[in-house]
Amino acid sequence: MRHLILRLEAPLMAFGGETIDNYGVIRRFPAASMLTGLLANALGWRRTEAKRHQRLQDRLVFAARIDREPAGGVRLTDFQTAQLGASDMGWTTRGLPEGRAGGANTYNAPHLRYRDYFADMRVTVALRLEPVDESLTLANVAEALQEPARPLFIGRKPCLPSRPLFVAYADGKTALAALLASQPEEDSDNSNTLAAMWPAYEAVGEDDRVKTARRYMLTDQRNWVSGLHGGGRWVCEGAVCNARAGAVGESPASTAREQT
Amino acid sequence: MTTPRFLQIHALHSYPAALLNRDDSGLAKRMPFGGAVRTRISSQCLKRHWRVAEDEYAIHNIPDAAAAIRSRNIVEQKVMQPIREAGGIAEDVLDAVNSAFNVHVYGSGGTSESGRQPLLLGFPEVGYLQEKAAEICAAHADDAAGAKASADALFGKRQGESANFRAFRESARLPGGLEGALFGRMVTSDPAANIDAAVHVAHAFTVHPEESESDYFSVVDDLQTEDEDPGAAHIGDMELTAGLFYGYVVVDVPGLISNLEGCKAEDWESADRSLAARVVEHLAHLIATVSPGAKRGSTAPYAYADLMLIEAGKRQPRSLANAFRKPAKAQVEDATERLSCHLEKLDNAYGAAETRGVMCLEDCEIPGTPRLNLDALASWAAETVRNGEA
Repeated sequence: MRHLILRLEAPLMAFGGETIDNYGVIRRFPAASMLTGLLANALGWRRTEAKRHQRLQDRLVFAARIDREPAGGVRLTDFQTAQLGASDMGWTTRGLPEGRAGGANTYNAPHLRYRDYFADMRVTVALRLEPVDESLTLANVAEALQEPARPLFIGRKPCLPSRPLFVAYADGKTALAALLASQPEEDSDNSNTLAAMWPAYEAVGEDDRVKTARRYMLTDQRNWVSGLHGGGRWVCEGAVCNARAGAVGESPASTAREQT
Repeated sequence: MTTPRFLQIHALHSYPAALLNRDDSGLAKRMPFGGAVRTRISSQCLKRHWRVAEDEYAIHNIPDAAAAIRSRNIVEQKVMQPIREAGGIAEDVLDAVNSAFNVHVYGSGGTSESGRQPLLLGFPEVGYLQEKAAEICAAHADDAAGAKASADALFGKRQGESANFRAFRESARLPGGLEGALFGRMVTSDPAANIDAAVHVAHAFTVHPEESESDYFSVVDDLQTEDEDPGAAHIGDMELTAGLFYGYVVVDVPGLISNLEGCKAEDWESADRSLAARVVEHLAHLIATVSPGAKRGSTAPYAYADLMLIEAGKRQPRSLANAFRKPAKAQVEDATERLSCHLEKLDNAYGAAETRGVMCLEDCEIPGTPRLNLDALASWAAETVRNGEA
């Protein structure tokens, strides 16, 4: 099956997790909803086109690998302040304005927000659309990524990519297989294995290039009609062999590798 | 020749001994990149200072911005025209709805064009008005009085709708409307009322490892007499950093025109682009000359860009941050060379499809890029938007 290989790379990136109050937390791997939004943005869809987004997310099958993760994935927390006004009003299409709640003292000091980011990270994604024969094809997505309708960003508006996202097409029986076919580039981590995540139903058979560490139910899908995240899907996380270093279990010394 | 759907603005700014952007512990914001920690300025910080700058190129100072806004006729041209063209609605009904909407959107002076205050109505506003007008026309296809009553009721006092329209007008009024058109506006509960930012700003970071110094200081009480305790009234320290920062901004040209003119983004090439062109010209000047305003009194952190490169094109915008992944020297010459080399590598790998212009203090050769002064560079960028061609 044909897959798209994307490389997500920017000085700062954010794969949003469950934001509670003013803490914007992140996860290690991109969410299905984030990739849906990224592709929809490239295609020029509007946020209000909920059904299109939903269909795209439902069709999306992907595996992701962390090619570079400085300092073992330490998160950078950005601290922000914002001056809010009690009388700030926003109009809505429902006919009722949206205001701000909170007592008078809420507005005496600026609102404090914390937003996590990964710095200097590189993630490779292999994705396909299932079923393949709908009006939106993988080729449409690839074209849209190369000449997108809007500037692309990776998770949050200031996370502007430092390279073209679209890399190539790759064949593979599963998204993980397609991912393994795409070798990490220079200046990726040169540890023996790299962390990866893939759909659990794409069972990995006997493959010494993959070690599954855990299988779990992940809530990374958005209900695009209600605007809330919900439901779950089974995914596996584990280690995959780093073609730049060696097979799982091999010691780095046993593998000659390019030094850059 | 390319279509300037995106403008990418790259800038290098050099600041000695300043504390431009702090975290909650009062230290400079930082980030690790390519194995070295860098000093960082967040995008929120940069945007705020461009927004509130008070100078010749202030966003609020765009000459004849108010006059340039076509939206005084937006009800007639953008809201009613499509309904007229669709047909099936009596002429007097259309006229009644038109004048009622004009009065309610623009206030009591709305009956005449000259009485209307300039409002910046973006695509969400226009779409919303059009949907409501179409509903009313469809419900009263032959009944002008009924249509007028319906329109009055829509904007009427019941159920907070008049408050909604107050908020609607408020968000569209200048200069706030201009800020929204550039940097976006979010209504959390209603994606249909959101305005998406047309100007995307990355966090700026130093092209070299952080250069930081803890500045120890004491405060002397000038009124203290000699026979009193001779100690300082206060001692403290603050962090100072020096840095050559790489900053990156992308302007979504169709998005900007949609936000300013109320058209669909995909129709940008047939829209009036003159206001968008002015905005781009001002933005280029602001990015080059406005500094984050922190510790102004004690560090005078005012710097103009050492280099500003603008690219116009339609491919996926990508920053040139990776030029500095391997830390550069903290010198403009080295950073400029890195930038130029990286750009050449990108051109060799992906082709050179963008049209470029550069302003640079030092001698530099950026492949296929004419050197311009800031005025010329900013007006070139504006021209590409005005002509829809670069």
